[in-house]
Formats: sequence, structure tokens, C-alpha cells
Amino acid sequence: MASVTLENVTKRYGEEVAVDNMNLEIEDGEFVTFVGPSGCGKSTSMETIAGLTIPTEGSVYIGGEEVTNLPPKDRGISMVFQNIALFPHMDVYDNISFGLRLRKYDQEEIDERVQKAADVVQLGGMMDRMPEEMSGGQRQRVAIARAIVREPEVFLMDEPLANLDAELRVHMRTQLQRLHRELDTTIVYVTHDQAQAMTMSDRIVVVNDGHLMQVDPPLTCYNEPDNLFVAGFIGSPAMNFVEGQATEDGFTSTYMDTPFDPTNYGIEPGQNLTMGIRPEDVYLERDTHLAEEPSRTYEAVVDVLEPMGDEIFAYLLLDEDVEASAEGRGEGQLLISLDPDTVIAPGDDIEIVIDRSDVHLFDTDTGQAITHDILE
Amino acid sequence: MSGEEQHPDLEAQERAGQEEPELDRGIVEAWAARAISNPDRAYKATFYLATFFFLVTTLFPFYWLLMVALTPRGNLSDVGVLTPAGFNPGAFVEIFTRLPFHRYMFNSFLIATVATVLVLFVASLAGYVFGRLRFRGRNALLLSVLVTSFFPPAAFFIPLNRLFNTNIDALRPILSAGSLYNTPYAIFIPLSALYLPLSIFILMTFYSQIPDGLEDAARVEGTTRLGALFRVIVPLSAPGVATAGVLTFITVYNEYFFSSLMTDGRPQNWAPMLEGVLRFQGEFEVLFNLMAAASIVAVLPVAILVIVAQEKIVSGLTAGAVKE
Repeated sequence: MASVTLENVTKRYGEEVAVDNMNLEIEDGEFVTFVGPSGCGKSTSMETIAGLTIPTEGSVYIGGEEVTNLPPKDRGISMVFQNIALFPHMDVYDNISFGLRLRKYDQEEIDERVQKAADVVQLGGMMDRMPEEMSGGQRQRVAIARAIVREPEVFLMDEPLANLDAELRVHMRTQLQRLHRELDTTIVYVTHDQAQAMTMSDRIVVVNDGHLMQVDPPLTCYNEPDNLFVAGFIGSPAMNFVEGQATEDGFTSTYMDTPFDPTNYGIEPGQNLTMGIRPEDVYLERDTHLAEEPSRTYEAVVDVLEPMGDEIFAYLLLDEDVEASAEGRGEGQLLISLDPDTVIAPGDDIEIVIDRSDVHLFDTDTGQAITHDILE
Repeated sequence: MSGEEQHPDLEAQERAGQEEPELDRGIVEAWAARAISNPDRAYKATFYLATFFFLVTTLFPFYWLLMVALTPRGNLSDVGVLTPAGFNPGAFVEIFTRLPFHRYMFNSFLIATVATVLVLFVASLAGYVFGRLRFRGRNALLLSVLVTSFFPPAAFFIPLNRLFNTNIDALRPILSAGSLYNTPYAIFIPLSALYLPLSIFILMTFYSQIPDGLEDAARVEGTTRLGALFRVIVPLSAPGVATAGVLTFITVYNEYFFSSLMTDGRPQNWAPMLEGVLRFQGEFEVLFNLMAAASIVAVLPVAILVIVAQEKIVSGLTAGAVKE
């Protein structure tokens, strides 16, 4: 077990900046997930921790010791790779014991440890199989066994579930959480799938363009996003954004306005604001009592319905003149989530209210969050 | 579509499907007509023809070599095209009694083995660098390696011969004379250098195909870059390594130019197999039957090596072919 610290880490590939001046402290035994769109620098950050990449500037510490220039093998880490990366010319036993054999452990201890690791991931009786004879899920378990058998201080996982089918992915997700509880090791996890990040981590690190956007527990990132990027990235379906301006007595935009006292939040009249509303924080007018701080009612037309079984996603047009954009998330459009029993049809005129205690306001120009509720 | 009004193209197709009208054709014309209507016949025929031609051109010299080897000394001028003039298998024994031909073969075998190991090791390092790393000047360096192999080997001979005949005091502890002439080094050093570029190119191509993830995994598990190369990348490139190794071995084993000039031709002075074959021509007569027998015996190690390596190549190629 060990903590991991990134100090002013910058990685450049020629002119391209993959990671820009990153500072991050990961505590002992923590499960931290790097999440962000592809090419955002999350994998590079992990490779820097692993030692597969040497940062252009800055330092990396593992367990308080500087490891910036140490090769991967001397860092007390192990890693699970996106493409699984089992050695195709070795059977399961040789794959799992590879690191132990390199470190010249006794044959007895190797056997014992391999057995234990195989038991953790339920791989008993497959020791002499070759990787090509196994299914994707089995290979993934071998890769995890190979990583845990050395009892590393830090466990790195680079999109380990990306190549699995949906059902197996959900299963492995719970497996990994159980594993974290049993091993009590620091785990650094990289994914572009925010569902994995939300479900497993103690904290998530949202990365975009090589910058840290927010480092917080999953629910904090969901309920109190620091900026527009995090607000839009975390949550599925994504938050609705309404672009507008601040006035003397509230927020105004083409299709939606909300009265509040801007001085409470240090907002100057005329400032460009973006209002963020999660689909589940919008209610039908008759369900107003469910909202903690209901807003006034807005009129809308139902455009498209997506019944999911446990809820219905309704794409609304806030005015009959609004042109529906292809993805249904343009200006004057609103995505809301409704109770599955709601009787509703495309074309219906409905009235909605918004829960003001869950409305987010962002400064459009800087992207920074101003408030996560607008109470009068 | 109703059958009454067909498109003219469809009608033409239908007509073509019917039996050809009987024509007065010769054998060749008839065969050609059948080949056109059924191209598989033509492909098959061409395949057998090409295979037959290839086998005859490669194997007939061997066959004839055997005929010459079996012919007794006195009848050498009467060797037929397909039959020997007499029968004397004793030539295969005589080559070892008249001269220590086994020593010549051992010299060649050792030199070729050392050269192969050396070439594979150096070419593996170079192939790794060129195939898997990105650095400034990579292409220029690769080109300069390639340029080395453009020179005719003869261009290197004079300077190398002078160099190898120089007595270098620093070498005295290892080599009694202090010079490389009449030592195996004089043969495998220049040959390894000359055949290195080809191996570098072969291995570079193979090593670049190995996914980065495997190398990263090996390094995280506890190898250095070099360890990852020899424990993971090389075993996974077995077909490429076998190809480069076999090519190098055969070339060095059969090499003539340096082999004949870098030693004085005596077996105890590391003269190679080829010198042994040529030693069967005396001042007054050329013992063609012994030369033929020696040639056939000399081929055996290479033939065995290729057969063994070929199994490896085939198994290496099919190992990753079946996925899930």
C-alpha cells in the first residue's frame, strides 16, 4: 500500500501537450478513477505513474519516495492493460508467475501465491490453458491475477473492462470493488466510461485536454460540478444547458427565464450565464409537490419519447417554433426524465416546473460553476 | 419480372449456359475451350506444370551429383545423364580418409553457427530500435545500414585482408600469432557484418508488429527493455527469427569468397568446408567423384537445419492464426 503523488507533471510529445502541469495526491488505499474523453491525457497520466512514460517536467512519488526516473519494475506497481496483454506464448500459470519468476522467488512460494491469486479471481483448474483458448472474461481474470500476485503497492488499471461485453463488464465491475475491499490496495483506474467511474471509485479525477477539471467523490462531481465540462461529462443522459444572460432580477434566455437575486451569488447584470438542469430535476406541473423548491411553470411540447422501462426520457421543445436538432439537445430543447407510468404522447402540450434547489449556474465565458441552487 | 420480355443481356447469358455447338476442333483448341469455360482446370494445370518445372530444375543437379559420386574414378568420362557409369559408394567413405573432410565441415559449421548467433543478437537489438522506438535520425540511420549491403563483398576484401594480417599485440593473449588470418574470426566477422542488414530488416518488420501492450506488461512485471525483448518480443517473433537465422546460416556456410581467402586452406587453420571440396583436385587429376560426394555430404547439415526450422516457422505462423 502506498500513496501516489503527481507534482507539476507535464508531458509533451513534440508540440502536443498531453498532460499540463498536473498536481494530484492519491491517498493510501484509495480507489481513484481518471475519467475523460479519449485523448484527454488520462492514459498518459497513468503511464507516468507506471513509469512507462517519463514526464517532460515534474515529479512522481509513490509511497513518499520519488520514482520519476525509476523503471516500471522498481516502482512496486502492477498494471492491467486495456488490451489485456497476456503473453500469448505462455500458459496461464506462466503468465501469472512471470513477475515472481523474474524476481527469483522460491518455487514453493510461487506456487502458493499463484494458487491464491487464481482463487481470488476464480481461475482454479485452468493453469495449463493458453490465452488463445480462453474467453475474454477469463483472460481478463488472468490479467488481474497476474497483477495481484505480486502484492503491489499500487494497482493500475487502464480501461480493463473496455473489451468485454456489456453483461460481463457489469459483473467485473462488482468483482473489482470486492477485490479492492479484500486487497485494500491503492487502485488507480482509467476509463472513458463515466458509469464505471461513478460506481466504483472513492474519488474521481475528471480530465480534459491534459488538465484536471475536478477531483472529488463521484456524487460531489455529479451534484456539484465545478465547471461546465464536468457537468456535461458526468451523468447519463447529460445535463441540459441553457445559455443566457444575467439581468437585474435573474436569468434570461430566449426560451427560459428564472427570477432570483443575482447579488446573492456575486453575479453582475449582463454577465453571460449558462443554466444547467439535470433531466431528473424537471417535473410535470401536476407533480410540483415533488420538487423541493419549484420554479414557475414553463410550457413545452413533447417531441420524442424514449421509454427505458424504469423511466421515460422525454425530449421537449420549449416553443412550437423551435427546430429540433438531430441529437435533441439544442437551444430551446429540454430532455427530462419521467416516471414510467406517466401517460404522455408525442405532440402533447405540457407544463413543467424545475426544482430550483438543483439548478446549476455557470459563467459561460470561464466555464466555472457559480452556484448549484438558485433560491430566491 | 415476367418471363415474356427479358432484357437482351439476360437472354445472352442464358444462351451461353447452353451446350456449345459441336465444332471441328483440334486437341489443343478443345482443351483451351474447356479451360475457358472452366478456369479451375487451367489454374490446376498451370500449378502442376510450374511445380514440376521447379522440382526438376532444383532437384536434377542433386540427382546428377549423386550419379557422379557413385561412378568409379576410372569411368568418370562415361557418366550418363540418368545413370552412373558403375557403382562405387566407397567415395562417401574415401572423402573422410583421404582428407579430414569432417574437420572442414566442422569448421564451416562452427563458423556459420557463431555468425548466426552473433547476427541474430545484434540484429535483434537493432531491429528493436528501428522497429519499436521513434527517435530523430531513425530513417537516416536505417538507410546507412542498408547502404552497407549495397557494396560488393570484394570491395571490403583488400582492406580487411591487410587488417587481419596485421599483428596486433593486444590480441596476443587470445591468438598465438596476434593476427586474425587463419582464425575463424577472419571469416565470421566480415560475413556477419555483410549479412547483418538483411536480418535487421527482417527482424525490424517482425518486432514492430508486436503490440506495445505486451512490452509494457513485461516491463511492469519486472523486466528491463532488454528483458522484454528477449523474453517476450523475440519468442513471439519466432518465425522471423527462424527466417533470419536460417538465411544467415546458409549464406555463411556456403560462402565462397571470404572463406577461400581468409585462411591458408589447411583444416587445422579453420579452412571451411568449401576448401575441403576443392582440395580433391590434385595437380594431375581432378577427383570429380570425391568432390561430388563431399558436396552431397556438406549439404546435409543445412538440409537438416532447414527441415527443423521449417517446422518451427510453420508452428509459429499458425500459433496466432486461430482466434477464439
